[in-house]
Amino acid sequence: MHRRGVGAGAIAKKKLAEVCYIMSKQIETFKSHLEEFASKHKQEIRKNSQFRVQFQEMCATIGVDPLASGKGFWSEMLGVGDFYYELGVQIIEVCLALKHRNGGLITLDELHQRVLKGRGKYAQDVSQDDLVRAIKKLKAMGNGFGMIPVGGSYLVQSVPAELNMDHTVVLQLAEKKGYVTVSEIKEHLKWERERSCHVLDHLLKEGLAWLDSQAAGEPQYWLPALFSEISSRDVTPDEANQMTP
Amino acid sequence: MSFEWPWQYNFPPFFTLQPNVDTRQKQLAAWCSLALAYCRHHKLYTLDVMESQESPVFNNKKIERKLSTEAIQVVFEELRKKGNLDWLDKNKSRCLVMWRRPEEWGKLIYQWVSKVGMINSVFTLYELSNGDDTEGEEFHGLEEWILLRSFKGVKFF
Repeated sequence: MHRRGVGAGAIAKKKLAEVCYIMSKQIETFKSHLEEFASKHKQEIRKNSQFRVQFQEMCATIGVDPLASGKGFWSEMLGVGDFYYELGVQIIEVCLALKHRNGGLITLDELHQRVLKGRGKYAQDVSQDDLVRAIKKLKAMGNGFGMIPVGGSYLVQSVPAELNMDHTVVLQLAEKKGYVTVSEIKEHLKWERERSCHVLDHLLKEGLAWLDSQAAGEPQYWLPALFSEISSRDVTPDEANQMTP
Repeated sequence: MSFEWPWQYNFPPFFTLQPNVDTRQKQLAAWCSLALAYCRHHKLYTLDVMESQESPVFNNKKIERKLSTEAIQVVFEELRKKGNLDWLDKNKSRCLVMWRRPEEWGKLIYQWVSKVGMINSVFTLYELSNGDDTEGEEFHGLEEWILLRSFKGVKFF
């Protein structure tokens, strides 16, 4: 029997095994350094959002997700999991409380403001980066959450409304003034009238937009989520009574 | 104390009757609250539909939006269904606004009467609404027609 190239193949295999062994040892070492670092700086991680960002980025480079599951070394040791879990709950509460006003769409800014307010003066510092991470977790858990990039930030969607690319792009267009018209859509996106109306009708149907037929020229479609006056107003007891269950 | 407008008041679409059914429900509920709160604040008991169109409640000059007569009628009909409004005429041009329902007034008055230990005494309507004793009570200054309605179902005698 002819076993051609056996020697070369076996050597290559051995080399590969060696390299893998060395690499895994290095990763082990790196991991244990990271564990040591984490335990020393546990307080920092909980209190300082800048620190959290850097820590998260470090973990990402070695392929570790501190938020991967409720149990496990990372979340138990650091309480990082707890922090984001609690934040996720708070985010859901804020979104639910305001859903009747904005149809389930809220700017990241307003969400941030209200979360900070809810945590009080002495609560831990929470950054927008923290919110984005917590929302990503919520999204992965299938809570109907999503984030739509608009005007340099995000709109956070907390109800599973069917929003496709067309809807998203119109939302982004509306971000500047808080409303949008058919003409503006046709002008900026170069769409036909029918496509523009279709999208706007859908936003009305999902309760994300309200119609203003008294605007000069043509009807305007306003999004409560983008209406800046809303962000400063608390939900009044009257409003609370009006919320549909 | 000046009247505090809700956020919807400065939201232009609030003055357009919404085509989406769910949104319209929320809108009407907010309008009912606003109308009643405004009437309570200014101690208004009757409204004329024609005049209402020009009232600041339904006409926000700052944002140049106002509720149409048709929309005002819809809001009034909602209030009527909730027991906060009664039409004075068949043409539905004038109405009584009860930002507190008669039964609620009746209860308040009864509570005051028992507080001052006057059950089984005789009061004139005038004494109740304008007497010195009742100054500071919420029902002080209440118009006669609503006082009368508030007694229905409350056993005073």
